[in-house]
Amino acid sequence: MPEPTSPTYFRRLKAICMGRVEEIIPILEDRSPRWGLFCAAVILVGCGLYGTSVGLWRSPLQSVYTGVKIPLLIFLTCAGNALLNGMLGQVLGSGLGFRQVSTVIILSFTTAACILGAFSPLAFFVLYNTPPLESLDGSTGHSITLVTHVVLIAYAGIMANYRLLALLRHFAPNRTTALTTLLAWLGGNLLLGTQLSWVLRPFIGSPSLPVEFLRAAPLRGNFFEALWAALQNLS
Amino acid sequence: MSDANSQPTPPAIPHSEPLPTGATSPKPVAPMNYTSLAGILEALLKQPGALLNELSGDRRGGIISRLIALILICGCIYGVVMGSLSGGTQLWAAPVKLTTGLFFSVLLCLPSLYIFLCLNGADVRLGQICGALLGMVALVTLLLIGFAPVAWIFSQSTDSVVVMGMLHLVFWIIGLWFGMRMIKGLLAYSESADHGHLKVWIIIFVLVSLQMTAVLRPLIGTAPTLLPTEKKFFIQHWFDNMNEKDRSR
Repeated sequence: MPEPTSPTYFRRLKAICMGRVEEIIPILEDRSPRWGLFCAAVILVGCGLYGTSVGLWRSPLQSVYTGVKIPLLIFLTCAGNALLNGMLGQVLGSGLGFRQVSTVIILSFTTAACILGAFSPLAFFVLYNTPPLESLDGSTGHSITLVTHVVLIAYAGIMANYRLLALLRHFAPNRTTALTTLLAWLGGNLLLGTQLSWVLRPFIGSPSLPVEFLRAAPLRGNFFEALWAALQNLS
Repeated sequence: MSDANSQPTPPAIPHSEPLPTGATSPKPVAPMNYTSLAGILEALLKQPGALLNELSGDRRGGIISRLIALILICGCIYGVVMGSLSGGTQLWAAPVKLTTGLFFSVLLCLPSLYIFLCLNGADVRLGQICGALLGMVALVTLLLIGFAPVAWIFSQSTDSVVVMGMLHLVFWIIGLWFGMRMIKGLLAYSESADHGHLKVWIIIFVLVSLQMTAVLRPLIGTAPTLLPTEKKFFIQHWFDNMNEKDRSR
């Protein structure tokens, strides 16, 4: 069987974004490291480019940091949950093996990376129109940046998972199993992902705090404690 | 979705494919000439579906370059009409800003359109999408030329920047309504039934094009500087203009 070439990889990428299950199934059998590296490169470029637009409102240095941290967050989440997701896939009867589970989850993140990469010009355009940090409307600028990125990332995430669900429906014996498996993976990824994003903070960069790659004592505290404290402050 | 619940859609694309066997055409469709600006112009108005079909062939490059030329010409003409409200510098600044804004909108929205069409399950090439997007903008500018005499009459009879702004906005929205059929035609071309993501993209394109009115302000009326020194979102810019009393040319 001839070694797949770069155009083949780009065609695969298109098929993944289009959700063509019949074309994705053979991809799951590709064990070559080149394909894995290609997916990693897509995540690195797509999320990295988008990440730079997230941090650029605060400062160019923050932009570089966030451009590195968003792909890093995805890689760490994939790696950290690979075993758990594989086991959940088996236990819930998804019809996928350990390696296939990792592959479909990486493909899902690759889809999200493609969408985020395509959103990058729009994100830079929003950034261009956002009141800068040093202006009187600096706090408004921070809020606009936050809301915009939450909406864009949520859209990319939802779409990527929708594609994943379509794939799961093909392998799982029924729709309920497919949905249960997806929700179980989402739960695990959400739990680890939120904590990793807490550790890797800041992404946008608070106007009142210095620009840093990681905050001092990044492992202290967690996202849920901070959320609880914020809710208590409100009440 | 039932017809009663569905949103109104732009008119369907007239296409030049042969009719099924047995059907009789009341008037044979003449083949379009894509080697001239006039031919492209005619195809945009009469047979956008055939133009989309042609964009998948070898003549794509020539068609795209003519579409760009058409946008430049029509955009400049309508820009002069926009600038005629204030005259002076705006007579050249408005056309330059209008055409620049159009091309920037295309560049900003092209990657997301490609991805959204993929998510819709449409198997189309980037060059084809680029051509369709330029075709859409060309059709909009072409329709704006149709509105130009009306806009000019109003600009000569009023001093109100707000009234003229609203009028240009209405013309832009009407133009976009018809222009969108070029993009929707891409889905029809690739036989994709899902239009969900395309609707999201259309909202994005409308927002980007409206934001261009704030980024490149003043497009109509005057200001101390050629380009803005303060960053604003378009809604804020519009409200600021409406709240300014006696805002005139």
